[in-house]
Amino acid sequence: MKFKKWLPYAGLFILAIAAGLYAGHRVFAPRHGPRPETAAVLLHEAKPLPDFALTDTEGKPFTRASLDGHWSLLYFGYTHCPDACPTTLSDLDHMQGHLAKLAAEKRPKVYFISIDPKRDDLTLLKNYTLYFNPSFTGATGSVEALRVLTGPLGVDFTYSPADQKGDYGVSHSTFVLLVDPQGEEVALFSPPQEPARMAADYTKILKYYGEQP
Amino acid sequence: MRRTLALLILLAAALPAAVWGDGPSVQASKIWIREGAPGVTVLGGYLSLANLTAKPLQLTAVSSPDFDSVEMHRSFVKDGMESMEPVPAVDIPAHGSVDFKPGGFHLMLMQPKKNLFAGDMVTLMLTFSDKSELAIMAPVRRDPPLR
Repeated sequence: MKFKKWLPYAGLFILAIAAGLYAGHRVFAPRHGPRPETAAVLLHEAKPLPDFALTDTEGKPFTRASLDGHWSLLYFGYTHCPDACPTTLSDLDHMQGHLAKLAAEKRPKVYFISIDPKRDDLTLLKNYTLYFNPSFTGATGSVEALRVLTGPLGVDFTYSPADQKGDYGVSHSTFVLLVDPQGEEVALFSPPQEPARMAADYTKILKYYGEQP
Repeated sequence: MRRTLALLILLAAALPAAVWGDGPSVQASKIWIREGAPGVTVLGGYLSLANLTAKPLQLTAVSSPDFDSVEMHRSFVKDGMESMEPVPAVDIPAHGSVDFKPGGFHLMLMQPKKNLFAGDMVTLMLTFSDKSELAIMAPVRRDPPLR
């Protein structure tokens, strides 16, 4: 008798807990634990990438959808760059070495996006990118198409006037962007991009976003 | 045996300097050239230069028989943008030193006359403000010597 009387309340109680859990999950997920201490700048809110249309070094379209389902690192540079770009790409290669313990699908895919389409055709860009790591992918497009992606990300690039030989330099943003499997920017790595520290930061951010590295 | 031979060669090389006095005014170390990815025609070169004299010196020119031209450049970050600029000369303070390293001063070695790979050696001729010259051998490497 007593049991029957309390049954509706028990049912409500269970419903309330379920609703609370669901709301909590919606509000707090996917953050897990306290905000990690990182040298990388971890954005407070993941920022969706704009819709962009470039071409990768396999000749396939490189769009926001290309970044779905896996973590990505985006770096913007150019192949005629003798100092900064090879240093960063080499650091990213060493970072992959530090992440060798992670399952392959948990490791970030590295994209080197050339902001110098005039000189960097897809063949040159492909050979260049593969040299640093066979898993790296290159991509580029027209300056206008590049700006669609770089503008909202705060990535900038400018060309210096060409010298007598037609050589010119390209000033470009230094950071490496971390993009989550939903195609949202979550963090920025600024120089010095020390491989071991980047790898440690990456693992912390993965855990913070609820992934088991 | 090989070590003895190397030592003898070193001694022989050092002998003229010891006998005729003066000696080099600048000593180079941590020399390396970054191997280029396929298709790359501009390589970065790095080294450390120590001024052995009591007078400030400048590195005023660099050349190499293995490249069309060599320039001195400086990478710098301004407002989050990585840029590069040519520099006509680089100061080496008296009894001090200057480092050419990634993200800072570097040699820009343009149009290699043959394909260069890690393990190859490149000759560099350095000219200083006191008109002294230094010929050095720079190894082509994939990574910096000390990592």
